[in-house]
Amino acid sequence: MAAEPTREWSDEQLKSDDLPKKDIIKFLQDNAAHSFLNEHKLLGNIKNVAKTAKKEQLIIAYDQLFESKRFKGTEAVEEVTEKVKAVKVEEKPKEVKTEVVDEGPPKYTKSVLKKGDKTNFPKKGDTVSCWYTGTLEDGTVFDTNVPTAARKKKQAKPLSFKVGLGKVIRGWDEALLTMSKGETARLEIEPEWAYGKKGLPESKIPPNAKLIFEVELVSVD
Amino acid sequence: MKTAGMALEQLSEVVQRCQALPDDSYTTEDHNIFTVAGRTCIEEGNSAQVLSIVLDEKNQEIVRCMGWNLLPPLIQVLLKKEDKNLPQCLAIFNHLLETCRPKELLIGLLEQLEQDDPDTIVESLHLLLKPLQKVLLCLGGRKASSLGMALSSVLDQVAKLPLPHTKEQEEDDVFSFCRCCTDMIDFVRPFVQEVRHNLLNNEMQSETTNRTVGRQGKDKEDELRTELLKFCMKSLSHPLLEVHLKDPDTLALSPLRTFATEILNILGSIGESIAGLVHQPLLKRKQVPGFLEEEVRYPKESLASLAHLVFVHHLAADTFPTVFSPVFSLRCNIEHVSLLLSRTEESKLQKGLELYEKSLVRVEDGSLRADLLEIKTFLTVPQNLIKVMTICPKHELRTKGLKVFQLSVDKFNTEAKYRFFQYMLKTSNHSGVEGYIIKNIKNQIDIALQPGNSNVWFEGVQLMPLLRKVLILPDGPETDLLQYLDRIMESLNLLRYLVIRDKVTENQTGIWTELYKIEDTFMKPLRVGVNMSRAHYERELQNTMEAKKSKAKEESVLSVSVGGEELPSMTPESQIQALHSALHTFDMIESVLARIEELIEVKDNL
Repeated sequence: MAAEPTREWSDEQLKSDDLPKKDIIKFLQDNAAHSFLNEHKLLGNIKNVAKTAKKEQLIIAYDQLFESKRFKGTEAVEEVTEKVKAVKVEEKPKEVKTEVVDEGPPKYTKSVLKKGDKTNFPKKGDTVSCWYTGTLEDGTVFDTNVPTAARKKKQAKPLSFKVGLGKVIRGWDEALLTMSKGETARLEIEPEWAYGKKGLPESKIPPNAKLIFEVELVSVD
Repeated sequence: MKTAGMALEQLSEVVQRCQALPDDSYTTEDHNIFTVAGRTCIEEGNSAQVLSIVLDEKNQEIVRCMGWNLLPPLIQVLLKKEDKNLPQCLAIFNHLLETCRPKELLIGLLEQLEQDDPDTIVESLHLLLKPLQKVLLCLGGRKASSLGMALSSVLDQVAKLPLPHTKEQEEDDVFSFCRCCTDMIDFVRPFVQEVRHNLLNNEMQSETTNRTVGRQGKDKEDELRTELLKFCMKSLSHPLLEVHLKDPDTLALSPLRTFATEILNILGSIGESIAGLVHQPLLKRKQVPGFLEEEVRYPKESLASLAHLVFVHHLAADTFPTVFSPVFSLRCNIEHVSLLLSRTEESKLQKGLELYEKSLVRVEDGSLRADLLEIKTFLTVPQNLIKVMTICPKHELRTKGLKVFQLSVDKFNTEAKYRFFQYMLKTSNHSGVEGYIIKNIKNQIDIALQPGNSNVWFEGVQLMPLLRKVLILPDGPETDLLQYLDRIMESLNLLRYLVIRDKVTENQTGIWTELYKIEDTFMKPLRVGVNMSRAHYERELQNTMEAKKSKAKEESVLSVSVGGEELPSMTPESQIQALHSALHTFDMIESVLARIEELIEVKDNL
């Protein structure tokens, strides 16, 4: 428990014009219990209190504080609301991991088409590379990065990204963490863990679409 | 002064003299005479004779060394198009392209690209890009830096051209701007092919053997790739960030949209991943060794332009993977949005708003979490939005800004909304914005009070600190009521709502226990303020009316200043009108205040 605050100003100093009201108010706000301030109408913005409180009132309050010893921390109950954090604006690093809250059973299923090495499983934050093909339930292919003869001779590369950090749809993040290097799996992902109610109209994904992916985990770094 | 005959004579003379000499012993004087005489001949219309000299087998060495100096007058003739010497000049021109040294031709051609007026610029680009391309292709492995120079020059010229803005302007292509864009794409095509070819070869080689292209060769390839990357990045900034692309429904065949698509295709061909570029703000890219640093290599404005093309115009949609989470896309795009909204040009503000809107729409309502607010950009963008909403001169942008602002609020979950409102009240310093936020708070409370929607942020213990920031007069009884009107009215509306909606016996919002304080900090000072202001304005009204009656020239009682400059004084009639309007406002405030007091009394007596 902090030591009792000392009485800094004498009566003369208090009455003097050299001592601004704001200083007295600040001292009182810093050191008096909440209920004390409330009773003496000393709560709120210092500027506003200074406007409404007379110097004499402040001197009286100052005296009374030391008489009654109703300092901060002496009250049994401080208001709960004081504990609410103010919004902090800080330059935090941009890597804000979106913590996934446990909401129930997984909203995807996986069937293994080709087994992996069963030793190299990716952890959250690892970089994985995949070949994949995505189809809707009706069979329409909406996306793939698998090079075929039909495609222009573009340099095809597997898709690389850091897994488990919310960069991809949740179905992918969850499923890939269960796959090992070299594994090919068929994933059926419910809309809640894909593109949900909105879908992605410009990418041919309708609202509430269940997505089917065939994914090959090529590498884990 | 030379006569036509004289120039021709001198030209023939110097050519004859040099025929006998080996090319490394031509003197500077020989060069000068050839240049001056040759140019004069062409300018004076003797191109037929020059042509025969230039085609003469005996003169090929001379032509190879000195011929390129004839380019300036030749090109002038070719640009004029109606000159009767056109066929001969064209023939000379083509022969020079075949015969002279590429490096020198390059200098000559690039020089002629630099023009001042838009019409000449487009014509010279149309004329010279093909020859330039041909010359560059002759440079073999050394072409990269020359290509860079050429592209830089071309883009500098294009930057001087007026842009088509409407659909009609683009269709008619009155300024020939669209033709320029097409010409540029045609120009770079073979170089893009070369880079693509090299990349494929490298991949294949490193797969089959461990041998890769020799160090020097690889550097040259990298240089070429880098020059094309620079070209794409610059184009993304200008013209692509300035023009407003029309959608296929509006304009089926759009040269500008084609240009944009081609730029994205080029990026893909030279090995850049579009997704990688869009996500760049969040990726820690490896430092690429080479002669361009990261920020120079990928200018932020160009990447923002790219993101806009991908997300708003859906270009390159088939190469963009459909697996990224909408929240991740939002986090990347908000960085681009932040850049665009910090500019003043309307085209950039418009694109910033569009990109933000498109990114937000993909996210479910109420799904964005409060920890996102710890990312600085999530707070600076709303502040930029507020600037657009309040001070942008263009009405459509202000309206759109407000729409996108509200959309962003709707996407936050309740905790995030709470913190966001807190932050905005603290930092916006604008009565209109504060009023808008307070209205949002009221809506959230209303939602929370509905059965099944209960949350800890907009009722109960957490709500009160927020309400205290709302139900307060910024300067006590001396607050300028007119200046803070928007905020004050919304605060009163909120208070009235709470008093009506929240039953005394339930007190879900905590308003009934807090009311005595609110009376002290808000209602009483407000009443005092209203009375003071009313008295003041009534007095002023009196004075003004008397002054008007006596027709004495009075100093105006009201002065209005905008941006620090005082506007000319109002007429007495306008002053009176303004004063009446102010008094009416005070009446309005007072009536709501009275109603609230009435409601409190009723409930107290229940």
